[in-house]
Amino acid sequence: MFGSLANMQPRQLAAQVLQFALVLSTAFMLWKGLSVVTDSGSPIVVVLSGSMEPAFQRGDLLFLWNRRQETQVGEVVVYNVRDKDIPIVHRVIRRFGGGSKPLQLLTKGDNNAADDTELYARGQSFLDRKKDVVGSVAGYVPYVGYVTILLSEYPWLKTAMLVFMALTVVLQRE
Amino acid sequence: MAESKISPYNLADLKNTTDDALGNYMRSLGFQQDNKTTDIKLAVGYVGCIIAAATFAADYKLGWEATKTWTAVAVFAYMVLNGFYSYWVYFVEKGLVFEGTKSGKHVSIASKTNKHEPTYYLTITTNAPSTDPRKIQAPFPTWFTADGFFVAKPFQQWLASSVGVIGDADAKNAMRDQRDELASPKMPAAEASVPEDIGNGTVESTGVESKGKSGKRSKRK
Repeated sequence: MFGSLANMQPRQLAAQVLQFALVLSTAFMLWKGLSVVTDSGSPIVVVLSGSMEPAFQRGDLLFLWNRRQETQVGEVVVYNVRDKDIPIVHRVIRRFGGGSKPLQLLTKGDNNAADDTELYARGQSFLDRKKDVVGSVAGYVPYVGYVTILLSEYPWLKTAMLVFMALTVVLQRE
Repeated sequence: MAESKISPYNLADLKNTTDDALGNYMRSLGFQQDNKTTDIKLAVGYVGCIIAAATFAADYKLGWEATKTWTAVAVFAYMVLNGFYSYWVYFVEKGLVFEGTKSGKHVSIASKTNKHEPTYYLTITTNAPSTDPRKIQAPFPTWFTADGFFVAKPFQQWLASSVGVIGDADAKNAMRDQRDELASPKMPAAEASVPEDIGNGTVESTGVESKGKSGKRSKRK
């Protein structure tokens, strides 16, 4: 299997490695391109919990749009708890400010009994639309996100997948 | 070069092995390989990858908000570079296997295969004024055994006899003597003046002057 690598000229080897590097780079740049277009740091998120059932299930893939700053009550938004990297998907149930004043939102999961005040950082009662919200949900695809959940719960899968991809692309010369 | 076995039914393997052999053969004849086309492709490709890596690093260290503008610029630059890379590979490189110069003669060879067809197609461009065909082809079994081993001799003979520039560099494999002999054989002077018994009475002219199939005589009835 690696015999073909040994017989290659240095430029050919460089070209094969470039193929793999381009696969990774293009995938990453497409992702970043989507970020730029939607103006969101994380334009596609996976639902991790059942707090938004029956609207969204665990494993659903959500597409976000962050260019509408005038979020309305009833919209589903994704936000990061301050100082934590956990994205939460909940519905806006109250809004304050807006227009010239900074917009503040209160959220609650459809399937939760209480609103999100407990989830916010200490001393924080509301979300700041500009600072905390990653985007509002514009569309979704069910179940597809389960792959991501698997990858995050079994991190060795990520390495295995990457190694497999690398071998396939570098050794393939079609 | 290690003699490794390939599957004689795998067209991609056949083509790749032959392409590699072609490059090695040309280099062994003393052709100086011109790597400009490949180098431009590699340079553009790797610059794109570096931009992507830098964007990744910036995003990892500084987060999304801080790097928004740079990311937008980088994505655009990457798309331009990637577009150029694709254009270069598809339109300029187009199957290029070898490009080089020897004694002022520049030659550029591109190879091609068609799906499910075991034929090796070459397109040759040279700056030497010649009547050589620009496109030549041969079936892969010409230089592959039934087991899938590559045999260099028939491959080199095919190349040297089909392409003038290569033949000039490799006289042994060009077999120019045999080619010239087939075209106009030198017959001993004594035979030429006496027409042989040709059976049905017709007279046929033979001699040193005649070309083509002069090796054959008419059938005796």
